[in-house]
Amino acid sequence: MSFWQKMDQLDRRWIYLTVAAAVILPFLLPTPLPIVITPEARSLFDAVEALPDGCNVMVVYDYYPTTIAECEPIAIAALHHMFRKNCKVITLSNIPYGGPSMAERITRMMGDQYGKTYGVDFVNLGYKYGYVAVLSGMGQSIESIFPTDNSGTPLAQLPLMDSVKNYSDISFIFEIADNATADYWVSIVNAQYGVPIGCGGTAVMAPKFYAYVASGQFVGLLGGMRGAAEYEKLIEIEADATVGMQSQSLVHLVIIGLVVLGNVGYWVGRSQSKRRAA
Amino acid sequence: MSGWELFQVWLVALVTLALFSFMYRDNPVYRVAEHIFAGLTAGYQVGLIWDTIIVQQLWNPMLGGEWWKFVPGVLGVLMFSRLSGKWSWVSRTSLAFVMGTTAGIFLISELHGRVLPQMQDTMLPLDGGDGFGATLLSVIVVLGVLSTLIYFYFSKEHIGTLGAAAKLGIWFIMISFGAHFGYTVMGRVSLLIGRVHFLIEDWIGSFL
Repeated sequence: MSFWQKMDQLDRRWIYLTVAAAVILPFLLPTPLPIVITPEARSLFDAVEALPDGCNVMVVYDYYPTTIAECEPIAIAALHHMFRKNCKVITLSNIPYGGPSMAERITRMMGDQYGKTYGVDFVNLGYKYGYVAVLSGMGQSIESIFPTDNSGTPLAQLPLMDSVKNYSDISFIFEIADNATADYWVSIVNAQYGVPIGCGGTAVMAPKFYAYVASGQFVGLLGGMRGAAEYEKLIEIEADATVGMQSQSLVHLVIIGLVVLGNVGYWVGRSQSKRRAA
Repeated sequence: MSGWELFQVWLVALVTLALFSFMYRDNPVYRVAEHIFAGLTAGYQVGLIWDTIIVQQLWNPMLGGEWWKFVPGVLGVLMFSRLSGKWSWVSRTSLAFVMGTTAGIFLISELHGRVLPQMQDTMLPLDGGDGFGATLLSVIVVLGVLSTLIYFYFSKEHIGTLGAAAKLGIWFIMISFGAHFGYTVMGRVSLLIGRVHFLIEDWIGSFL
C-alpha cells in the first residue's frame, strides 16, 4: 500500500489528536509571536482613545456563553481601555442565556481592578426580552425599558443613571456580538440616533461586519480572538487572547499542511487511477 | 478557591471531557452530557419566558394599572388555537398582527439603516483620491457587487455577456465563501483553545 493510499484511509482521530497537540503545546512551551495590528482594530482603538475622559459609554454583551473564548477577551480589553479613561460604563445584554450574568461578572471584576464603584462608575442593566423594542425604546427613555438594573435596584437609586436618560447621553457603544443583533444596533441605533458604534465580533461573524466598517456604520472591528489579541497589544497588556494566538497560529499551520496534503493526495490518486485504466 | 468554586470547576471539566469523548466514538457518557445540556436549556427557556415576558411585561404592568396590556395577552393566548385543527384559523389574527408590525418596523429600519448606506458605500469615486490602489479597490468592489447581483438574476439565460458576468460573480462568491470558511475555522479553533485553556489553567491547575 502506497503512502498516499495509507493517508487516504487514515483514521480521522489521528487528525483530532494532531490538532489537540497543536493547541496544547504552546500552553506548555510558550513562544511569543508577533501580532500585526489591522486598520479596523486601530480605528476602534483610536475612537475609544478620542472619547473625552469620564464620558458615558455602553458596553453590550450580545454573545452566548459558547463563544466566551472569543468574546470575553474582547470585553475585558475594551473595559481596560474604558476604565483607564474613567468612562462611565453602562452594560446590558440582548442574550437571555448567560448574557446578563457575564456582563455582571466581567464588569464587576474589571471595576474592582480599577477601583470603580457600582452605581457611580458602572451599571449593569441586565436583559430584557425583545431586542428590537429594547433598542428602539432606549432612544426615548432607558428607564422605560429597564426600570431596574440587573439586581432589581430602581435606576432612580443609581447616581450614574441621573445623567443618562437615552442615547443622547451616550458617547459611544461597544457591541460585542456572536450573532445578528449587531445588525440591529446598526440599523436602529446608529442609523436613527447617530451614536457611534464599535464592534467586537466572533470570527464567524467578522466577514459580514467588515461591510459596516467600510460604510462607516461601525467605527472599527475586532474579529474573534485575533481581534482581541490586537486590542490587547494596543492597550499594552498580555492576556488570554495573546496567549491563545500562539495555539491559533500553530493549529492554522497544521490545517494548511493537512489541506495541502489532502489535495496532493487527491491528485496523485487520480493520476494513478488514470494510469491503471490506461 | 472555595469548595463550591472547586466543585463547579470539576463539574465543568468533567462535562467538557464527556462531550469531547465523542471525538473518539459515540458513547453513553457523551449522550448523558448531551441530554443534560438539552434538558437544562429547555427548562431555562421556559422559566425565562415566564419571568421576562408573562410576569414582567404582562402580569405586573396589568396589576399596575396598564389594563390595556390584556390585548396582547389575548393575542398570545389565541396562538394556542393552533393546537386544535378546527380552531387553528383563529391564530391567524395574532400572526397577522405580528407580521404587520414586524413589516412596518423593519421596512423603514432596514432600508434606512442597512440597504441605503450599503448602496451608498458601493457608489465609489473611481478616481479614488488615494492613488492607484484605492481606485483598483473601488473597481473591484463595484465589479463584485454587479457581477454577484447578475449571478442571482434568473429571468434570463446566463449566456453571452450575461453569462460572462455571472461567471465573474461566481468567482467573487467563491472568494467570499473562502474568507467565511477561513474565519469559521479560526472561530472554531478559538473555542477549542478556550476549552483547553480552561482545562489546563483552571482544572489541572486546581490540583497541581
